[in-house]
Amino acid sequence: MFVYGLINSAVLALMALGFNLTFGISGIANFAYGAIYVVAGFITWAFINHLNLPYAVSAILTIIIIGIFGALVYKFIIKRIRGLVISEVIATFGISIILLELLRFIGLIGFKYSLPVFIDGSVEILGVYVDIQRLFIIGLGILVIISLYVFTHHTKTGLAFRGIAQEEHTSLSLGINPDRIASLSMGMGSALGAFAAIVILPLGTITVDSGYDVLINALSVCIVGGLGSTFGVIIASFIIGYTQTITAMYLAPHWTMIVSLFAILVILVIKPSGLLGHQKELEERV
Amino acid sequence: MLKVDKLMVFYENALAINELSIHINEGEIVGIIGSNSAGKTTLMNTISGLLLDTKLKEQRKGGERITIFGSVSFIGNDITNTWADERVKMGIVLSRERHPVFVESDVKENLKIASYLSPKNKFKEMLSFVYDLFPALVPLRKRKAGFLSGGEQQMLAIGMSLMVKPKLLLLDEPLLGLAPTIQVKLIESIVKIRKETNVTILICEQFARPVLPIIDRGYVLENGMLALEGTGNELFNNPEIKAAYFGV
Repeated sequence: MFVYGLINSAVLALMALGFNLTFGISGIANFAYGAIYVVAGFITWAFINHLNLPYAVSAILTIIIIGIFGALVYKFIIKRIRGLVISEVIATFGISIILLELLRFIGLIGFKYSLPVFIDGSVEILGVYVDIQRLFIIGLGILVIISLYVFTHHTKTGLAFRGIAQEEHTSLSLGINPDRIASLSMGMGSALGAFAAIVILPLGTITVDSGYDVLINALSVCIVGGLGSTFGVIIASFIIGYTQTITAMYLAPHWTMIVSLFAILVILVIKPSGLLGHQKELEERV
Repeated sequence: MLKVDKLMVFYENALAINELSIHINEGEIVGIIGSNSAGKTTLMNTISGLLLDTKLKEQRKGGERITIFGSVSFIGNDITNTWADERVKMGIVLSRERHPVFVESDVKENLKIASYLSPKNKFKEMLSFVYDLFPALVPLRKRKAGFLSGGEQQMLAIGMSLMVKPKLLLLDEPLLGLAPTIQVKLIESIVKIRKETNVTILICEQFARPVLPIIDRGYVLENGMLALEGTGNELFNNPEIKAAYFGV
């Protein structure tokens, strides 16, 4: 249970990081995130099975394509309604429904739509057998978190990201263009979503419905952790991840989706800014 | 160097700036003196281009209608419709009113973010220049900017604008909300900035007494209109200014 809870937490963290990156920097709640996740899975599948590209190449190509797609969505759609939160949500949710239902309409359903695992096999850890793929999820999750930290603290673009996240007009008066940064953050958030899809999807088949599940999971992790806080996302994914695993073990697996929704409710009642809603923390201390 | 010609700015139907024409020559320190709601900040935002951004955002929201007439030109180029970040690249850098720094980042990181446009190898040099100018910031390097006092935040905000290597530095009410002793220190630093970098400076301020002695020329704004202009000395000795701003 300990090991599976850990894996589940890593899965959640990976799913949520992309959503969190976009929201934390530009304040855009990217509701197309779940759709992007599923589309990334299908694109990789198509690259492997129709164009016969090697796995690694298709994965990298998919991440790049999805990243560019995210940036273009910002440039042509979100930019016009920037700053109007409700319109942003409606627009991205509209994109999400279009993409997902289009995929369903084409009829991409079935067991043949699945991605191969990176390395087949399993190892024994603490008395349970674990697929190597699941270990990859944990490892890559940690890697993504570390590289995000390095990116936002030590590169110019990353520092500009944090500037825009804190004070848009001050950044603008220092020559940082908010639209450029926002489209970059949207692109990177989407690319992270694609990355998560490629790492996580080999555990099962690619289904259209998982798009909505991913969105709800990512949303609940971000809300519980405090929107925009990376450390909050990590803690929240542990809390929700373990609760889901325990629920699946002692109640029944189909109760797990309720956990994330229930978590949103509870946190909004107790502490609306989330566990580590960092913008508020400073105001409370001063 | 900078020329503002017959500028008029409306918020809805309210006139914030009325047919204002000013000019700044290279190397000068020019002061704009005016009380609250005289249009100082609007003027600064127009020169730096931030007003265009606000205008666009209000337009999207269907909020306040902002209208700008007249023209602004910088070193011979018309920049009336140039976006703010392009103006920064041309060398116009604004240090905003009420020193809004990046409160979640520490002091050094603030300066790092500010050096977005300048080359990486110049960073150390600029950093030591800012620390020389404001030695008070050195022991606070690792402190979150949100925990600094108002004066320290103001020094940081000016330091951040300097990291971009401006040609024209706009200071919007740098003395607002500061203790008189710190005001004096800041004024000394502003003089030092001009001496060491040869940057042209435009200061907006309502505290006329500390500012007037250091400026080369000054304009007095009243309700968005130009009320008086002259050299710093002329304004300092003007009886009306004395009555209105010094309380003599």
